[in-house]
Amino acid sequence: MTAAATAHRPGRHTARRWQAAAGLLLLLLGWEYAGRALSGAFILAAPSEVLAWTWQNAGLMGRAMGETLGNAVLGFVYGNAAAVLLASVALLWPRTEALIGGLALLVFCLPLVATGPILRVLMGPGDGPQIALAALAVYYTTLVPLLVGLRAAPSSWFDLVRSYGRGRGAELVHVRAMAALPYLFAGLQIAAPAAILGAMVGEFTGAERGLGVLTIRAMRALDVPATWALASVSAAVAILAYAGVGWLGRRLSTAPPPVLLAPPAVAGRRGGGALVQGLGVAVLALLLWWGAMEAFGLNRFFAKRPGDVWAALVTAPDAAVTRATLAVALRETAAYVLPGYLAGLAMGLGLAVALVLLPALAAVAMPVAVALRSVPIVTTAPLFVMLLGRGAVGTVVLVAVMVFFPTFVACAQGLSRAPGQANDLFDSYAAGRLSRLIHLRLPAMLPAFFAAARMSVPAAVLAVTVVEWLATGRGMGSLMAMSASLSDYDMLWSTVVVVSVLSAACYLAVGGVERRVLAVYAPEQGAR
Amino acid sequence: MAPDPHIPAEVVCEDLAKTFADGTEVLRPLSVTLPSGGTTALVGPSGCGKSTLLRMIAGLEPPSAGSLRIGGAPPRALLKQAGLSMAFQDPSLLPWRSVRGNIELALKLARRPAAPQAVDDLIRLVGLDGFAGARPATLSGGMRQRAAIARAMVTEPRLLLLDEPFGAVDELTRRQLAEDLPRTWEPRQTTTLLVTHSITEAVMLSDRILVFSPRPATLVADIAVDLPRPRRAALTTDPAFLGLAEQVAAALAEGVAGANRPWAAQ
Repeated sequence: MTAAATAHRPGRHTARRWQAAAGLLLLLLGWEYAGRALSGAFILAAPSEVLAWTWQNAGLMGRAMGETLGNAVLGFVYGNAAAVLLASVALLWPRTEALIGGLALLVFCLPLVATGPILRVLMGPGDGPQIALAALAVYYTTLVPLLVGLRAAPSSWFDLVRSYGRGRGAELVHVRAMAALPYLFAGLQIAAPAAILGAMVGEFTGAERGLGVLTIRAMRALDVPATWALASVSAAVAILAYAGVGWLGRRLSTAPPPVLLAPPAVAGRRGGGALVQGLGVAVLALLLWWGAMEAFGLNRFFAKRPGDVWAALVTAPDAAVTRATLAVALRETAAYVLPGYLAGLAMGLGLAVALVLLPALAAVAMPVAVALRSVPIVTTAPLFVMLLGRGAVGTVVLVAVMVFFPTFVACAQGLSRAPGQANDLFDSYAAGRLSRLIHLRLPAMLPAFFAAARMSVPAAVLAVTVVEWLATGRGMGSLMAMSASLSDYDMLWSTVVVVSVLSAACYLAVGGVERRVLAVYAPEQGAR
Repeated sequence: MAPDPHIPAEVVCEDLAKTFADGTEVLRPLSVTLPSGGTTALVGPSGCGKSTLLRMIAGLEPPSAGSLRIGGAPPRALLKQAGLSMAFQDPSLLPWRSVRGNIELALKLARRPAAPQAVDDLIRLVGLDGFAGARPATLSGGMRQRAAIARAMVTEPRLLLLDEPFGAVDELTRRQLAEDLPRTWEPRQTTTLLVTHSITEAVMLSDRILVFSPRPATLVADIAVDLPRPRRAALTTDPAFLGLAEQVAAALAEGVAGANRPWAAQ
């Protein structure tokens, strides 16, 4: 019997639910025990303390949550509307896809920690920055699968439409829109908790109300139960948002494809084409940046133009000092982010493989991991600081955890994606788990692994800058926070440019490795 | 000039040829006229370019050279009138629509009014009674292909293009369909083109068989099938039928040998 067949047996489902419930209960009991054991250490609050604090401060928590959720919902709507609009433009004018993809990636790589204070001075004290950051946090994760989904139908479906003399409009209505629905919902599902993350990071940067504001206050006051309660509530809300959108997607997508294609690593060109494409994106980005500042007549003191950043980094008398400061901060950040990123990838892959070899453990671990994947880990950064201190360990672990969950879930799902007929072939030779893993499941998993590795690059940068900003006092995050508080906007804008360009370059580098690997192991996914 | 929508389409190819952008030559110049109302089978080895020829006639693939007229106009004109239907090798059923929904989609695409009775009749004709509400994922390969045939026929096209329509259908159903389907297109004098690998099917269904060589396809034989209609399964043992089948097989072998392929000597 194939894996797919066993998975649909109702008895199995019930057993798995019980195992998952047992796993969650064990986790809660362990947490409670550890919380009580460490009650004097000011690092961990037990679930009972978390519940008690939440109950006593229900009104405050409710108002803050309403504020944060309101901003997150608006950001979710705006960000996803932008994604749908950009995808439609790319569909209608395919030549623009490379430009749109490149520009969208660059914007996605903006470090929210520095973008937040800039938006704060540009937009003032209201909800604008929170909503804008929520929108920035979601649009790319929707745009990328949507671009794939709108082209995910077999060519014969389009032939069918054209054979009746109909054009692009009919293709869009009868084929593309429905075929893209599962992809859209896959994106929206990831976007739901990301919107909460964006809104909270916006609140970190100087809002007056919201869960992010309460989190900062609780952390500064060393209020351990409040910090844990706020992190737990924001995590629970994010899990619910993730599950809710997933449920809606399953209701609306009546015929989901058996496998969601891995999103492509930005419209793929090589050699000279890639150079022209990169130059085009850079010119467009600079024009849009300059145009936006000029169009709104923003004050040059805080609204820097491309020329100002160029001057700060190259031509100004103190440009060498600026560059040296940036270089030191970059080295410090790289020392945290690289080990964290690689450890997160290795742990995610390693645990997924281990669970294939020990399937009994998977039934307990997978639901917990899927739930935790939807938690915006950065919003729990204060907990890591409390548990692991303000040094390198806490930072590296936070980055690793940020990368670990999406990698683990993607790898676990990828490992189960081996085609049924190939599984039957291995069954017919009575192949063991190890040989099935090596020859069948690992190659089938590669697209999912690389998609996770690629999308984790900006996430890792976000994690490291947030924790540097909140806690360590070193690296690019700290430099951004210092520049913002000292109103050194030349330096703040320079950090944005440097971090965005480097993040995008790393993202493209991982995409390049991905393309080479997929060309061998999954040519149908590498192809565009 | 736009073709008259009430006259079955005559297909005229003059020096029609196809070479893909990568330099692969698929079809050598072909000149042939397929009279309106007839059924023509295209037979040849796998990959020889029969489907490409069909796609060119459907207006889905531009020819590299030569001209193609359908009812006196370019294929695009018939396409605009939704005057042709094609059943593809892959059934190409939309997975979110039921069998009925997929058949009705053709009417929508062709901007024709809903025709519930015609849809029901076709579902019955292709043996999918009781499966009208089923989604493609729940059907066997053969059932999906039958649904695709029904979809191709529901618009009552002037030109019907069938690309290996019975490829996944079981032998018994295939025989039944070969008897039943012509009864729907013959009274309307639909011009029908059929790509098939089955010599029996070609002789059973068509008035004329074009035999092609391996790629690049050249026309090896043009065989007229003057067997009486309606044709029943029993006809397959008739000496005239067997003689024609033998003639097609010999032409195929000659085409392969002429192409000087390594397996030609076997």
